[in-house]
Amino acid sequence: MLTKRIYVCENSIECIFTGIYDAWASNYGHDNNRIQVEESNNEPETMELFSEYIHVKTDNEKAIKVANSIRTKISEEAFQMVCSAAWSCSSKKGDIIYRFLILGFSMGSKVVNHMGDQNVMMIFELQRNVTYEVHHFLGFLRFIESDSNILLAKIKPQNDVLRLIAPHFSDRLSNENFIIYDEKRKSAIVHRSGYSWIYTLADHLDINKFEEYSEKEQEFTSLWQTFFDTIAIEERRNYKLQRNNAPLRFRNNMTEFKN
Amino acid sequence: MIIEENMSVQKKLEILSDAAKYDVACTSSGVDRKGTSGGLGNTVAAGICHTFSADGRCISLLKILFTNECIFDCKYCLNRSSNDVVRASFTPEEVCVLTMEFYRRNYIEGLFLSSGVIKNPNFTMELLCETLRMLREVHHFNGYIHCKAVPGASSDIIEMTGWYADRMSVNLELPTAEGLKTLAPHKTRKNILKPMKQIQIGRNELIKPSTFIETNRMSGYAQSISVFDMNSIESEQDQPQILREEANFSLSKSKSELSIRDKILDTNMTGYDSEYSLGKVRRPSINRGFVPAGQSTQMIIGATPENDYQILSVTEALYQKFDLKRVFFSAFIRVNEDTSLPVLPGGPPLLREHRLYQADWLLRFYGFQAAELLSEERPNFNVLLDPKCNWALGHLENFPIEVNKADYYALLRVPGIGVRSAERIVKARRTAKLRFEDLKKMGVVLKRAIYFITCSGQMMHPVKLEENYLTNQLVGMKERLPFGLSGDISYQQLSLFDDLKFMNQNININ
Repeated sequence: MLTKRIYVCENSIECIFTGIYDAWASNYGHDNNRIQVEESNNEPETMELFSEYIHVKTDNEKAIKVANSIRTKISEEAFQMVCSAAWSCSSKKGDIIYRFLILGFSMGSKVVNHMGDQNVMMIFELQRNVTYEVHHFLGFLRFIESDSNILLAKIKPQNDVLRLIAPHFSDRLSNENFIIYDEKRKSAIVHRSGYSWIYTLADHLDINKFEEYSEKEQEFTSLWQTFFDTIAIEERRNYKLQRNNAPLRFRNNMTEFKN
Repeated sequence: MIIEENMSVQKKLEILSDAAKYDVACTSSGVDRKGTSGGLGNTVAAGICHTFSADGRCISLLKILFTNECIFDCKYCLNRSSNDVVRASFTPEEVCVLTMEFYRRNYIEGLFLSSGVIKNPNFTMELLCETLRMLREVHHFNGYIHCKAVPGASSDIIEMTGWYADRMSVNLELPTAEGLKTLAPHKTRKNILKPMKQIQIGRNELIKPSTFIETNRMSGYAQSISVFDMNSIESEQDQPQILREEANFSLSKSKSELSIRDKILDTNMTGYDSEYSLGKVRRPSINRGFVPAGQSTQMIIGATPENDYQILSVTEALYQKFDLKRVFFSAFIRVNEDTSLPVLPGGPPLLREHRLYQADWLLRFYGFQAAELLSEERPNFNVLLDPKCNWALGHLENFPIEVNKADYYALLRVPGIGVRSAERIVKARRTAKLRFEDLKKMGVVLKRAIYFITCSGQMMHPVKLEENYLTNQLVGMKERLPFGLSGDISYQQLSLFDDLKFMNQNININ
């Protein structure tokens, strides 16, 4: 039996693609390769015996080659699925994408309908999970306006959804300056009125700004709170249903659930 | 009437959102519109829920009344003129500022503007229309607007409002004209249906100007807005392939039903009337279309003694003859002490409302007809079963069906298989023959379905297709009801309402 080769990638789509490229190019046999994504928390991984660990260094050129092959040899739809999966929080996503692509490059565009296959189904699940969360944030995200008229929003998503929600808000608020900050990954979307959005790491962003409420801001916060409280029908009160629809994990950053 | 001077916006918002909370339709769906460079906002066809209130209902729009100063005296309404409540009115500017600032902060998807009737219907509608105009033209608001049409307002103001709004709705209030007479003496069925008809015709003129008018001139729309034409017009415009086929599917049998529906909706507005046609006003410079997200309506369930069959038939007629996008049901809540209102001992009939919504989905997405689900002899749903299970038990001759061969619509009729599962099955069986474990992997819920399907000719377990046996199996299953509706308590509540005899004894109308 050959020693298993485990390609350890950083948690980024570029690095996962690089790992897949390297694994493929090694000609070592797909069954003997595995793609593993590094957990961002600093807990040590459980290492496996009889395995060779290879740390993958992100190579944009290789990543782009993989991306282009997916688009041309499988389909645009498959590429979207893979991207969503790569931005999901699943720890197994690296290998799922790898297996999906092995099948995809042999089947072509039909692969996305091949639900009977476990990996296709799992990619599908990952994508669905990400899509649901994206949709939730389109509604649950809240801006507060700073004194300098910048709209600030803070979110703590399970999946890396920033780049998936950015197009929606840039289109909707094209004349506004806004920042959407991912507390978990310390990254942000920055949008300047009239320009397109950019994605950036935001280690240096002063997040205390998010807590400074101007007087005008307080007024609208309190108006919204009033509306939120009065619109509920007492006779139909149903906190379970409310919690099912607006899960607690979103509520930390939602104006109406503060206090 | 209590009118307070110099009321703060905060106070007004409190009063006027409280007054609007019984309105059901807080959806922001039906139209996709990109943002504009000078404006604020876009719309998403699927709709977006922004938060959920303590009753678990979605909040998508800023749902307010423009005013609760109302000259009408509808018995079930908190704002009836004879009630001694604090009255308030917004100014158009106040509504605009609230909408814009809430929208910027992503609190809401847009505005839902309704109103009590102040002075007279025209005066009220003009105020609503002016508010919408300011939002669109002064504040350049490009998000979603749902506006009520006030029955009795003149058709030119209705048309103007339709150019600014995304969705409009006229409340049907109660399922039948008799109910309306008893509980809403100032409203008539005719006044309610008129703006509905106008909006429908306006929308269709924009979609297919020539053919539409011709069909109507030929036969007068009362018979001919021939359900068929209406559906195909709508489906060609904005429905996916699957729904289009379904529309035709469901229509094959429906003509015989028309006579009942005519009676129910009492639409004796015959002939094509130019009053309904577009072109009475100058369109705004930015053309977002005429009521592009279509219209909806709502009715109160349980305030008057109509049975489920009547309610569902009216619903079906509204979809087919008025082209509505949604019909909403609202479980009656007794907010006023009035001898003409029933006392419902278990509180609002929420499970009945739930069953009606389930049936409404069967009409809209599953190709069912009201007359298949209920009949004169059996006019109410069995609260213990969802309407589709109920139907399947009565039509066991259609089952079991073969998952690998049955067409999309046959799959949709299997209890437990919904639109999403049916679509997945149709997709997946192109590449491989499906087994029960494949269905499971795809996320198809088999709990109910196993009694009605085969995979490659085999059922999952040998089952006798016999009504009593299956009824026991299905009723014994724990159905996943919305939170707060589950458990024995609500079954008990419901059996009270759904027993017609009980209702007749207790509802003391007049």
